[in-house]
Amino acid sequence: MIQLLALRIRRDRVILPIWIFGIALLLTASAASVSTTFGDEAGRRQILQLALATPALIALRGVPNGVELGSAVYFQVYAFLAVAVGLMNTFLATRHGRAEEERGQRELITAAPVRRMTPILSTIILGVGANLLLGVLSTAGFAAAGLPLGGSLVGAAALVAAGLAFLGVGLLASELTASSRAANSLGATLVLIAYALRGAGDALGTPDLDRLTLSAAWPSWLSPIGWGEQAFAFTADDLRPLTLSLALAVLTGGAALVIAARRDLGASLLPERRRPASAGRLLGSTLGLAWRLQWPSLLGWTVGAAVLGAVSGALANSVGSATFENSAINDVLQSLAHTSRDDVVTAFIAAIMSLVGILAAAAGLQAMLRLRDEETGGRAELLLSGPPRRGGWLLASAGVATASTTVVIVVTGLTAWAAFLAMREPGLGAQSIGQALVELPMAMVFVSIGAVALAVLPRISIAATWALFAIGVVIGLFGDLLQLPDAALEASPIRHVPTVPFPADDLGGAWADIGVLTAIAAALIAVATWAVQRRDLTA
Amino acid sequence: MDAIEVLGLVKVFGRGRSSTRALDGLDLTVRTGEVHGFLGPNGAGKSTTIRVLLGQLRSSGGSASVFGRNPWDDSVAIHRDLAYVPGDVSLWPNLSGGEIIDLLTRLRGGADAALRTRLLGDFQLDPTKKARSYSKGNRQKVALIAAFARRAELYVFDEPTSGLDPVMESVFRAEVERVTRDGATVLLSSHILSEVEQLCERVTIIRAGRTVESGTLASLRHLTRTSFHVGTAAAADDIARLPGVHDLATEAGQLVFDVDTDSMTGVLAALTAAGITSLTVTPPSLEELFLRHYGDPKPDAPAVPVDAR
Ligand SMILES: Nc1ncnc2c1ncn2[C@@H]1O[C@H](COP(=O)(O)OP(=O)(O)OP(=O)(O)O)[C@@H](O)[C@H]1O
Ligand SMILES: [Mg+2]
Repeated sequence: MIQLLALRIRRDRVILPIWIFGIALLLTASAASVSTTFGDEAGRRQILQLALATPALIALRGVPNGVELGSAVYFQVYAFLAVAVGLMNTFLATRHGRAEEERGQRELITAAPVRRMTPILSTIILGVGANLLLGVLSTAGFAAAGLPLGGSLVGAAALVAAGLAFLGVGLLASELTASSRAANSLGATLVLIAYALRGAGDALGTPDLDRLTLSAAWPSWLSPIGWGEQAFAFTADDLRPLTLSLALAVLTGGAALVIAARRDLGASLLPERRRPASAGRLLGSTLGLAWRLQWPSLLGWTVGAAVLGAVSGALANSVGSATFENSAINDVLQSLAHTSRDDVVTAFIAAIMSLVGILAAAAGLQAMLRLRDEETGGRAELLLSGPPRRGGWLLASAGVATASTTVVIVVTGLTAWAAFLAMREPGLGAQSIGQALVELPMAMVFVSIGAVALAVLPRISIAATWALFAIGVVIGLFGDLLQLPDAALEASPIRHVPTVPFPADDLGGAWADIGVLTAIAAALIAVATWAVQRRDLTA
Repeated sequence: MDAIEVLGLVKVFGRGRSSTRALDGLDLTVRTGEVHGFLGPNGAGKSTTIRVLLGQLRSSGGSASVFGRNPWDDSVAIHRDLAYVPGDVSLWPNLSGGEIIDLLTRLRGGADAALRTRLLGDFQLDPTKKARSYSKGNRQKVALIAAFARRAELYVFDEPTSGLDPVMESVFRAEVERVTRDGATVLLSSHILSEVEQLCERVTIIRAGRTVESGTLASLRHLTRTSFHVGTAAAADDIARLPGVHDLATEAGQLVFDVDTDSMTGVLAALTAAGITSLTVTPPSLEELFLRHYGDPKPDAPAVPVDAR
């Protein structure tokens, strides 16, 4: 057990600290920033009143609870951080669960004199340890922003509780699915569903404008992230909702243990279906293969995009119909959408579509970076022993990545348009589609960065690209909140997406931004195609 | 023209201090139409050589050509007429074996449908299963069927039978014999000596990135010793003094010794003159040839005695 745990820690010695310290750092920075930006109570009161009248913001951020500084911080950071914590845990569970089994390492481990349950038990210990460490750092992070210790502890406990629940979910996903890719998708999807459920429940909740809080509707009570919000750190400091998370952790973890104790090595609860004995017509080229490998994931991305489009269309309407003095809320939206328009709905559409662009970039990157898996897995060696050239092979993946990005953007734009149409707002519908489409060049810049990384720095390409992407997203979405210098803000492609409709006095500037982003993406992909042709295949 | 011509090939992985010189002046000539065995201990550089020939690695020095073309610059033209099976086959886990066979053959222009069906039967592969659930041997079969299901000028096999059972191994041999009858060339890297002995006309043995021996099996056998078990009236000392006799010992009244292949005539004449009551002559096996080269501390060191079996 000790050796196996040591092995797991060794394997995670880079990735886990990145997750833990990254999350703790983000928490510390945001908490500090909220404390300085919204330092005075009157300002906070105004912001919270407006937020409560804006279901869209509530859906993105969470449930406010009173005007205390700590409470405002908690409202700003908890839901986002809980998503990160959830992903950290499901990925951890897969890395040491299904992925280990898939690579055949589990076979080596269990052939040694260790008990059948030792691998999963050591994963649990590692996961619990990681969450506890995160809890300690998070407590310190809250406290560092000058918040009371008791509330800091509760806030950190809410993160840990969500983390443990998703650790259990991840362990179970590894037992249910037959591949690490499927386990990771299932885990990540459940985390996002938990976020979406509480988003819906919070947005549909009943606001209490006197006490500046909101009683969330039932969907929030189906989500570990929702339970964490209900702990209301720094005000109610209520630990009871967290027991629900712990119960979920015990339930899912227990189920995983029961399955693990009973099943064969390599088997999964969800069975494998038979496949056709000969290939369909498409599967005869690198492009056909890239498409065949990507479309199941693309289906998932598309469903996500459709839901996001429909929800944002519906929410935008409620933003628009909210009739109140909306200067402060506009500030918040403007900072999220990094636009200077004062029209609330336009700012809201830009904010949502900026998220859509990021989702589309992630879908494209996933398709693009699959190539590295092909190479390390040795499948590229087999494929490229045939006539395809490495340049064409990369280009095929870049093509499928472009298609994935485009599909996500178009589908979201269309569903948002349909939602507006249903509310008899065709103008806003067209604006949504337009805003979605102008996100495409930005998303493609990220995809093309992935392509270059694959061609030039294959060994670190996956980690480097996702890290750059994460930095770009953090700068793009939270750059203002974190009060980063202008030079840093300008470095993120997300900052260069123009707002639709383009301002009449700066049409040229808007088109120039689109043109430059497109040119960068195209140039980078050309460079990658050329560069991959002149390097060794490196497993 | 030779199918493969490699001269002084060098491949260095990495830079600076941590670099590995995997190939260090390797020579390899594979004549058109022959089955060429490519042998050497683990880490000798066989797979590296093959990857250079496939244009997947760029050589750091020396020259390599396949069908007279440069494998790095001209890979597409070469690969149209080439079929490759790696030693450790990894497949797309979500595709079925049948889908993968079709994909790989279509890239080269499409499988011969009748041949594909026959091969599926001969190799006893269920093409409807997802590749994820195939055993190592079955994964190897998928790659072998994909290689054999369309005619190629050159077949390159890197330990193709390492996961196959003996029945499947014989199917593999039959297929190699079939394609060579049709005039194809085969480069076969293998650790299974019986396979090499049975299939290959010529072999190249490499060690630490250099060629140590190359030629027909018969000519290589010449370089080793034949072992004798003789019941004879001849005095042990007399025999031991003959040129080319090594490691003489007495076992159960018989003389046991090894003879250099060149000195066989003289030794036989001496034995015949003294009278022979029983005689067992064991020809040098490829294994002995191997052990000799694999076990050498340096490739150019003087030959060490071959262990008696
Ligand atoms: N990508 C690489 N980077 C660094 N070193 C490498 C790389 N690929 C191979 N080597 C080294 O090159 C040498 C030759 O390896 P190669 O795989 O060609 O041996 P081999 O003859 O095929 O051995 P085996 O019989 O075990 O398959 C080994 O020392 C190996 O460690
Ligand atoms: Mg090898």
